[in-house]
Amino acid sequence: MHSRRQFIVKGAKLVAAGAAAAAAGPSVFVRGAAAADKTLKVLQWAHFVPAYDKWFDPWAKDWGSKRGVEVTVDHVGFADVVPRATAEVAAQSGHDVHMFIGLASAFEEHVVDLKDVAANLEKKYGKPVELAHRSTYNAFTRKQFALSDMWVPDPGNFHKKVWTDIGMPSGPSTYEDLVKAGPEIRKAAPQMQIPIGIGLSQDIDSNMAVRNILWCHGGSIQDKDGNVVLNSAETLKALEYAKRLYSVGMNQAVLSWNAASNNQAFNAQETAYILNSISAYRTAQDNKLPVLDNYFFTPALKGPTGIQLASEHVMSGYVVWKFSKSQDIAKEFLVALVDASRESMLASKLYNFPSFYGAAAEPNTPTAKRTDSGAAWIAKQCNADPFGSHPGDKLSLLSKALPWSTNLGYPGFANPAEGEIFDTYVITDMFAKAATGAMSPKDALAEANTRCKEIFAKWRKKNMVAGGSKDR
Amino acid sequence: MSSTEIALARPAAAAVETLSRRDRRLGKILLAPALAYIFVLVAIPFLLAVLLSLTNSSAGSLEFSFVGLQNFRSVLSSAVFLRALRNTFVFTLVSQGLVIVMGNILARALMKPFRGKLLVRFLILLPWAAPISLATLGWLWIFDSTFSVINWMLKVVGWLGPGEWYYWLGDPVLGMVAIIIVHVWRMLPFSTVILLAGLTSIPKEVHEAADIDGAGALAKAFQITLPMMLPILTVAVLFGVVFTFTDMSVVYLLTRGGPFNSTHVLASLAFQDGVLGGDVGRGASVAIFLVPLLVVMAVVMLRLSRRAEVV
Repeated sequence: MHSRRQFIVKGAKLVAAGAAAAAAGPSVFVRGAAAADKTLKVLQWAHFVPAYDKWFDPWAKDWGSKRGVEVTVDHVGFADVVPRATAEVAAQSGHDVHMFIGLASAFEEHVVDLKDVAANLEKKYGKPVELAHRSTYNAFTRKQFALSDMWVPDPGNFHKKVWTDIGMPSGPSTYEDLVKAGPEIRKAAPQMQIPIGIGLSQDIDSNMAVRNILWCHGGSIQDKDGNVVLNSAETLKALEYAKRLYSVGMNQAVLSWNAASNNQAFNAQETAYILNSISAYRTAQDNKLPVLDNYFFTPALKGPTGIQLASEHVMSGYVVWKFSKSQDIAKEFLVALVDASRESMLASKLYNFPSFYGAAAEPNTPTAKRTDSGAAWIAKQCNADPFGSHPGDKLSLLSKALPWSTNLGYPGFANPAEGEIFDTYVITDMFAKAATGAMSPKDALAEANTRCKEIFAKWRKKNMVAGGSKDR
Repeated sequence: MSSTEIALARPAAAAVETLSRRDRRLGKILLAPALAYIFVLVAIPFLLAVLLSLTNSSAGSLEFSFVGLQNFRSVLSSAVFLRALRNTFVFTLVSQGLVIVMGNILARALMKPFRGKLLVRFLILLPWAAPISLATLGWLWIFDSTFSVINWMLKVVGWLGPGEWYYWLGDPVLGMVAIIIVHVWRMLPFSTVILLAGLTSIPKEVHEAADIDGAGALAKAFQITLPMMLPILTVAVLFGVVFTFTDMSVVYLLTRGGPFNSTHVLASLAFQDGVLGGDVGRGASVAIFLVPLLVVMAVVMLRLSRRAEVV
């Protein structure tokens, strides 16, 4: 049995030993670091197509080992990308490279300007696609706050048999088609719970879907100069349209939509139309689901204005933190990632599209022709899907997605205010309230407009967003 | 006392004094880690939150300037905040009411001997041990608007007719019902264990004496069991109320505050505004809004329980 004195003496010895170990710690760490030479820590999302991560992790490590760099890749779920960035900025430590799948603009102050990297890549491969540029460059502060290696098109996914049964074998081509189809689908496929599965909830897919509706009706949150112009007759028309669509083709399920709901509902044949990238389709292929033969795609729908636009489904935005001690290595890594655009697209089963089309060009193509060459290679993959689509050209529309794809912040550039409006679901809530009748379209618009103006005003005070003189 | 006795008593008194001083020193040493823990992980973050609520701090920046009470004024004029405030009270009061009533019933049942009691105790404790994120994923499927197993069962038994369906997470009222159900499921084991401990600590003799005096079941419940359990009941309620007031996990994992921000509680709204939206100042003002109320509540309840302590 130990006396209290013995207990304290032993405890004191343990504490002293611990303190000595802690004091020795840094020198041990330095020796370890010296042995590893250089390190690079990358935070990456868990890709919606898991095959991509199986390629990315060894590729990154291999890239590092050839240069004497120990590369560590950590994956987080897409919903944790922003909270993790917030925590790392607050702690001023963490990863060197952080990947965003939406807008990284709110973190502009804490990231390295990647203008030199973008310029080098442009010299090598030609210009990036416009929506990637507009998502990673702040035209007001003139800072290249992120670098995009890939973006993801967001086509419509439709159930061929159901749409054939209602007399539209090629699926819908306008937003009005969805309203016409809603009641018809209910008759032709009464077993389907949600004829039109467009989310109106607080999730990433809904956020994009409602922007598509807004833009195609001629509305937008900001104009090209950063003025808040949400309060418009066009937005009101978009909200009235959402109300009509909800009443004939949707139910409350779309108010609780999450990032997996599109996939689950379509693959279970509980809906006849969703807005989604090809990840749901790849899941159906991998699992040989009954829906597969009827799984087809349409381009973005046209609104009454004739505008045909869809938000990108994902836009990668890699940032290098200012607190990183491996900034140069990080920049080299990003260049290498763009260099590997072909492998990236194939590893993601054609989910990722290169932000620099030129990086997918045939080797030895002159710089001026690289973009076209890359586009031709991309089209070749989509026209004869190497991952077993039937028919082989099922994904061919994706290679023509660029003209109808745009960035968050359209018709302007992405900026922190647009990012905050996106992340706090101001626009989805406006649509959901108007569609369900929880508020009149006019009141829902007024509420959202007030919040948007508040958010823009706040970021303007920080000199990170332009406009203001023509706010509505 | 003789001079010899005084001489002998002096060293003894000195020894007692030294021991007492040592005890005090030891007490301070043993308390220090706990105090340091509270100071570093509770006091500093709390003071920081108060400070941030008075600033225009944003997630992507370490610089901020003071804006006074502007954040509080802004949130008070927001319909979403007022709804979240109301939801916080509904969520806390309804779920805690259910937890205390059901915990009592379960605790009383568990005091009786029956076959398989150990297994039942294990099953009751299981929700407390399960990670909330994992458990809520299970509940997410149970309440899924398209694939809800509850709805399928209700269809099978004929409760729901053709075309009828409960959109648990897509309806503001059903969304709150779902959140409360999951929270009650989660909190019930803790409450049951606490109440069971309270019930078993009441000496049998007191009940036997009451029986001899001819007290009925109701009289025993209200004049013996309840007063004797009041201290432990207060602790259970206080813990449950504070925990529920400040918890966001069930709301965030189940509805993310939707549909259209109608099921937010203050904690989840603070996370959405402060962390996801990047408006740290606004998020902090939402998060600390109820602190004064919680402090008053804690003081009142602790005083109540101290007064009710059985000596």
